[in-house]
Amino acid sequence: MAVSVDKTVSTGPARGRTSPARRTSGRGRSVLEIALLTVLAVVMLFPVLWMIETAFKENRDVYAIPAKFFNFTVTLDHFKDVFVDSTGRSSLSTAFLNSVVVAGVSTVLATVLGVPAAWAYSRFAVKAKKDQLFFILSTRFMPPVVVVIPIFLMYRQLGLIDNKLGLILIYTAFNVPFTIWMMKGFVDEVPAEYEDAAMLDGYTRLQAFWKFTLPLLLPGIAATAVFALIFSWNEFVFAIFLTSSDSVRTAPPAIAGLIGGTTVDWGLVAAASVVFALPVLVFAYLVRKHLVAGVTLGAVRR
Amino acid sequence: MSDPVTLTTDHPVQAAATPPARGRSRRLSDRWLTVAFISPALLLLLAMSVFPLLWALYLSFTDYSATRGGSANFVWFENYTAILTSAQVHMRALTTLIYVVGAVALQIVLGFSIAYLISRRTNGRGLLTTLFLVPMMLSPVVVGLFWKFMLDAQFGVINSLLGSLGVGPVEWLTRQNTALISLIVVDTWQWTPFIMLIALAGLTAVPKYLYEAASIDRASEWFRFRTITLPLVWPLLLIAVLFRAIEAFRLFDLVYILTSGGPGVSTETLSFHVYKVAFLGFNTGTASAYGILMVLIVIVLAQLYMRYLNKLKED
Amino acid sequence: MRYPKRIGRLSVAAMLLATAVACGGGADEGATSAPKAPADIPELTKDPLTLSFIWFDWPPAHALEAFANAEYTKGRSNVTIKVNTVPNANWHDAMFTQFAAHKTDFDIPILDSQHIGEAVTNGNILDLTDFVKKNIDVNAYNPYLLAAYGQYPQAETGKRDENASLYGLPLLGDTWTMIYRKDLIGDNPPKTWDEMISVAQKCQTDNPGVSGLAFHQANGSDAAAVTYNTVNGIYGGNLWDPKARKINGIMNDAAGQEAMDVLVNKMKPLTAPGSGNWFIDEVNAAVAQGKACIAFNWIAASGGLLDPKQSTLGTTREEILGKLGFATLPSQKTDLVPLGGMGMHVSAYSSPEKQAEALNFMKWFEQADVQKKWAAAGGVPSRTDALQSPEFLNAGPFNKVYTDSVSRMRDMWNVPEYARLVDIENTNVNAALNGAKPPKQALDDIAKEQQAVLDAGSGKGGGGL
Repeated sequence: MAVSVDKTVSTGPARGRTSPARRTSGRGRSVLEIALLTVLAVVMLFPVLWMIETAFKENRDVYAIPAKFFNFTVTLDHFKDVFVDSTGRSSLSTAFLNSVVVAGVSTVLATVLGVPAAWAYSRFAVKAKKDQLFFILSTRFMPPVVVVIPIFLMYRQLGLIDNKLGLILIYTAFNVPFTIWMMKGFVDEVPAEYEDAAMLDGYTRLQAFWKFTLPLLLPGIAATAVFALIFSWNEFVFAIFLTSSDSVRTAPPAIAGLIGGTTVDWGLVAAASVVFALPVLVFAYLVRKHLVAGVTLGAVRR
Repeated sequence: MSDPVTLTTDHPVQAAATPPARGRSRRLSDRWLTVAFISPALLLLLAMSVFPLLWALYLSFTDYSATRGGSANFVWFENYTAILTSAQVHMRALTTLIYVVGAVALQIVLGFSIAYLISRRTNGRGLLTTLFLVPMMLSPVVVGLFWKFMLDAQFGVINSLLGSLGVGPVEWLTRQNTALISLIVVDTWQWTPFIMLIALAGLTAVPKYLYEAASIDRASEWFRFRTITLPLVWPLLLIAVLFRAIEAFRLFDLVYILTSGGPGVSTETLSFHVYKVAFLGFNTGTASAYGILMVLIVIVLAQLYMRYLNKLKED
Repeated sequence: MRYPKRIGRLSVAAMLLATAVACGGGADEGATSAPKAPADIPELTKDPLTLSFIWFDWPPAHALEAFANAEYTKGRSNVTIKVNTVPNANWHDAMFTQFAAHKTDFDIPILDSQHIGEAVTNGNILDLTDFVKKNIDVNAYNPYLLAAYGQYPQAETGKRDENASLYGLPLLGDTWTMIYRKDLIGDNPPKTWDEMISVAQKCQTDNPGVSGLAFHQANGSDAAAVTYNTVNGIYGGNLWDPKARKINGIMNDAAGQEAMDVLVNKMKPLTAPGSGNWFIDEVNAAVAQGKACIAFNWIAASGGLLDPKQSTLGTTREEILGKLGFATLPSQKTDLVPLGGMGMHVSAYSSPEKQAEALNFMKWFEQADVQKKWAAAGGVPSRTDALQSPEFLNAGPFNKVYTDSVSRMRDMWNVPEYARLVDIENTNVNAALNGAKPPKQALDDIAKEQQAVLDAGSGKGGGGL
C-alpha cells in the first residue's frame, strides 16, 4: 500500500494522551511545534515563491538592491518571451514541444515494454528471478555522466546523436527498470485467482491478462507512467550531451542556455522555469497517493 | 493475498495458478508468454545499458580518444593505475565524500524533523505535505539556475536578506568552503522532502496501541521516541539514506550549473571530473576506466540498498 | 539463466565493433590531414538548401542569421541560413562531439581561433588554402587578422606565414574594450595599467557601493584564462615558446609572476565580493546596474550595455552614452590586447553541395561592400577598408576601439590540446583569484600541468586526468 497524502490526514495524531496536569505545557509545546513547522515551510517554499515573483518582475526590479518583495511593477512580458520572440515562435517554445514529444514517446515505450514484463515477473516462475530483478534495477542506478560516454560512441555509429529518437531510447532504457519494479508491486496486489477463474471459463492466459488483470492495473499504470514522464521531462545530462540543434534540444538544456550569453534575463529564466515546472507539479499532485513508491523506483511501497 | 511488499520471492499463488488438469500445455504457453513479455524489456536494457558498459570496459584498457581518431592501443591497466594513484582524483573523491555525507546527513536530520512535526499535527497535514514536496519535483536545471541567482553575492536575495540583518555579503559560490556548503544546502533543499516523505510513511505506520501502552506506563516522550518510533522507522530511513547516497554520488547537473566545479576545482565531484576527462580533452580511454570504477562503487552501494530492502520486506 | 550467454555474445560483438571503429578511424590519422577544398567553387545547386552554422547563443549569432537571410539570399534565393546556437559552455563540446561522430548537422562551424589546431589535426574542417588564393583578396586584410582565424600551424603574433595553410576566414573580429564611467572617473581614460588600477582604487573609495573593477574571473569557457593572459601580455610575459613547445619556465618567469601578482593582489581587491565566477554577462550586469567604475569585456558582447531596458544608467541610449566611455586597453610594458572573435570554417562531413554553398557564402561574405553591410548590421568585419568605413565606426561607440586594437592583438595557443590547456589555466587562475590557491603556486601549477599535457605522447594510460 502506498502512502497517500490524503491518508496521512485521516490517521490520528501519533502522540499519546497527556495527563491533565501536563496539558498546559503540552499546549505551549504545540504552539512551538507549529511555529517551527511554519518557519521550515517558509524556508522550503521561499525559493519557489521568489522564482514566481521574479517571473513577474521587470528587469529593473529583478536586480534591485535591497531586493524588492512587494512594491514592484507586475509584468507578463517574460511569459510572452517564453513563447514568442521577434522571429515568431521562440526557440524555447520549440524546446518545450521537443520535451513533450521525447518525454511522451519514451513514457509510452517504457510502459508498453515494462508492464507486460512486470506482470510476467509477478505471475510466473522465472529462473534466477531475484538476480534478474536486481540486474534490472541496477541499470537504473548507473551514473548518467558515465553511461553517456559509451552511449555517445554507440549513437555516433548509429547516427542517433542530435536525434530525438536517441533521447527517446535512452530515456526508455532508464524508465523500463522503474516501470517493471513499480508495476510488479501493483500486479502483486491483483489476486492471480481472477485470471485462474477466467481461464477455467475457457480464456487463454493472455486473454485473462488482457480482459481481467489489465483493467485493474490501469490506475497503477497511470501513476507509473506519470513518474516516468517526470523523469524524462526533467532530465538534463543526456539531453545536453546528446543533442545540440534547436530543433532537437529539449527544454532543460534550452533553459540552461538562457544564461551564458551577454546578458542574463533572470526574469525570462524564472518565467521559463515556472512554465516548465507547472506540468510536473500538476502531474505530481495527480499521483500523490503513490509518491513514496514513485520516488524510490517502486522499491518502498508502504 | 500475501504481503503486498513481497518483492523478490516467487508468488505464493503460483502453485494454485496451475490446475492439474491442463497442467502441461498451460505451463508451456506460460513459458512462451514469459519469454515474450520479459525479453523485449531485457533486450532493450542489454542494448542500452550492458552493451555500452562492456564497450566502455574494453575502451578502459586502451588509450582511445573519441576525437583524435587513430587506432586504440592497449595500455591494459595503465588507465586504472593512473586514476587510482592520481592526487587529482583523490581530491575529487574527498570532495565527493564530504558532499555526499554532508548532504545526506543534513537531509536526514531535517527530513525526519519535518516528518515528525507533521505527524504530530491533526489538521492540515495533507496540505503541508504537498507543499513541502514541491522542491523535489523540480528539474535540477531549474533548481540550480535559480539558486545561482539567489546566492549571487551582489544581486542575490539571500545576501539582501542577510544584509538587512547586518550580516555582510557572503561569497556563497566563490569561496572554497562556502561553495561546497552551498552545493550541500541546495541539494538539501531539493531532497529533504524525499526523506520527509519516507519518514512520514514510517511514522504513520507506527501502530497507535504501542504509544498508548507506553502512555499508560508514563514513559517519557523521549523514551517513547527512542524505543518505539525510531526502531520502527529506522529500517525505512536506511533505505532512503542509501538511495540518496547513490543519487548524490551520481550528481552532476547541480555542480555543472551552480559552480561548474569552482572556485578552482574545489567543488568538482567525481562525476564532474569524469565529464571533463571525457568531453574536454576527449580522453575516452581514461574516462571509460574512470567510469567503470564509478560504476563499481554504485554497484556496491546498490547491493547494500537491495540487501536492506529485502531485509525490510522479510521482517 | 539466459542472459549471461547473451552478454558473452554481445561482448564479442562489442569488441569487434569497437575495434572496427578504432581501425576505421586510422585512415585519417596524422597531422594536417584535413581534406582540401577545391580552388574554384563547384557548381551550386538550384534546389532549396539550408546552410547551417553553429555558434554559441549571443547577439552576434542572431545578427548573423538575420543579416545573411536578408542579404545573401538576394543572390541565392533557394538558400536559407540557419545559425544553430548552443550555450557558451557547450560550444566546444557541441562541435567536437559532432566532428567525432563524422557527421555534422552544421556546414559552417564557427570556431574559436584556438580550436583550429584540434579541428585541423583531426581532419574535421576543409583546407581552404587554394580556395583563398583564387577567391579572396588577401591584401585587403591586416595579415595577422587573416592568419589568426585560419592559419595552422599558428602564426607568430602580428604576422602571417604566407606558406602556411589556411583553414578558415574571419567572421567576427573581437577584442577587449575598457568600459569606464565618465561621470565617475572623468572623460579621459587611463593610459597605463598602473594608472588604471589607481584610478579604479580612487573611484571605489569615492563611491561607496561601486567597485573599482569588473572583469572575467569564471572557471568555465576561457574566462579567467583570457584575463590572466591579457595581464601577462601587458606586463611583458609570454605564454609559451611555440617552436620548443615549452611552457614551464616561460609562462611562470619573472614577468609572468608579476602579472599574476598584479591580477590577484592589485586588481582582484578592487572587484565586487562574489565576483569570482563572473563572465561576460555578469560583468555587463555590473556595468548596467552602475556597480563598476572600470570594466573589461569583449566588444562583441557590449551592445546590450546601451539598451535602456537593461540599464539603470539612463532611460535613453544617449543618456547612457553620457556616462559610459569605451577605450582601448591601457598599456604597460607592452600594448598587447587579447584576440577574440571567431572564424568560419567548412565541415569536412557536410554534403558536397552544401560545402560548395559554404564556399560561395564565404567568398560573398568577404567582399568589401558586404563587409560594410555586416558592420552596419552589428557585426565586426575584418577587411581593413570595412574597419575604417563610417558604416562600421558609426555603428557602435566601441567599434573604433576595435579598429585601433587590430595591430595590438595576441592569441593563445591553438594546438589540438587547447581544451585541456585552457581548462588547466582557467581553474588555477580562478583558484588564485578566489583564495583557493596562492598565486605563485597557481602559476607554477599551470606551467607544470600544461607542459605535461604538451609532452604527453599517445600510448600511455591516464591521459586527461
